Amino acid sequence: MKEPVTNGESRPTPWKLFLIFSWINTVTLGGGYVIVPIIGNSLEKRGWMAEDAFYDIFAQAQAYPGPTALTTSMLVAIKLCGFWGAVAAFFGVILPPFVVIILVSKLMTTYGSLPVVKRFLDGAGAVVPGIVAAMVWKNTSRRKWIGPRIVELILLTLLLILFPKLSLPILLGGIFTMYVLEGLWKR
Amino acid sequence: METVAVVWAFFKIGVISFGGGWSVVGIIKNAVVPHWVDEAGFRSLIAIAQSTPGPIALNAATMVGWYHGGFLTAVLATLSVVTFPVLMIALTILLANKVAINKDHSDEALRTGSLAMMLMTLWVLRPTSMDPLLLFFALGTFYIGAFTKINSLWAILGAGAINAALGPAIRGFLKAIGLQL
Repeated sequence: MKEPVTNGESRPTPWKLFLIFSWINTVTLGGGYVIVPIIGNSLEKRGWMAEDAFYDIFAQAQAYPGPTALTTSMLVAIKLCGFWGAVAAFFGVILPPFVVIILVSKLMTTYGSLPVVKRFLDGAGAVVPGIVAAMVWKNTSRRKWIGPRIVELILLTLLLILFPKLSLPILLGGIFTMYVLEGLWKR
Repeated sequence: METVAVVWAFFKIGVISFGGGWSVVGIIKNAVVPHWVDEAGFRSLIAIAQSTPGPIALNAATMVGWYHGGFLTAVLATLSVVTFPVLMIALTILLANKVAINKDHSDEALRTGSLAMMLMTLWVLRPTSMDPLLLFFALGTFYIGAFTKINSLWAILGAGAINAALGPAIRGFLKAIGLQL
């Protein structure tokens, strides 16, 4: 598993960024927290961006909606190559998964009804609640819990469960309200 | 127009996709089940999305689009899920520090928000089958995810492989010893 070599002059160009991002997004499985450090290493290795600078951008990227891998890559690419860098990062991140999913979906249309494939998917699907529970566990144990935050969390979760069709306004309203409240009780 | 409905659904998902892939799964489920995918189908869709390259929301958009309209719908659904995030990036670059947002406060609000989304995801994806083997997979994966550093990808592939190869034999054995729920 080797990344495209960029010898010769080692300045970042949109095309090189596209090759790097699309390569990393083809061979990396397992979500934003896996892929982001790999991108960071790859840029540092080429001397394009120091680790600190990269993780500053990563922290900013998490405040944006959207997949962290996409927002981090785009913000980094803007810093390195401006507008065309962002375009390169955009396509580098979204093209490889798109192609893979289309291929997998085609395979599923052909083989999806075989009993052995069905059993594989049932088994694979059964682990999903376990993964989500583990994510909840990790995110809960990592945080500092003060009274008001616990109340906010319980209220927001209940609202989301009770009104599934209204999740968009509930979340946007909830996050805005919590932002304002954080400011109030810290005074 | 199914394409328009799929595109609109995934655009809205893009607006609230805060806090990493797993928090948004419950929102995606509410949007696509039972409309476009059934309960069991959604679980395998998520398992596939997680064991292939790329963010879950993008993969889900591509797959739902592909099955409900074909290639063009897949392209449009994939683009629609990232439309809002990309607009937000463009907007902040254009405004360049002209808006003052207190980073600490917004971080805390977003963390609580994404945790609530994860809890909701856990609720809508709670195991519905009482099959002992499938429940064992879910519990085992929780343990691996919460207390070890093993990538959850291995749990997905492992559970799939065990169920495909040994599922009938294990269920037969459980039934023989009287453990059939």
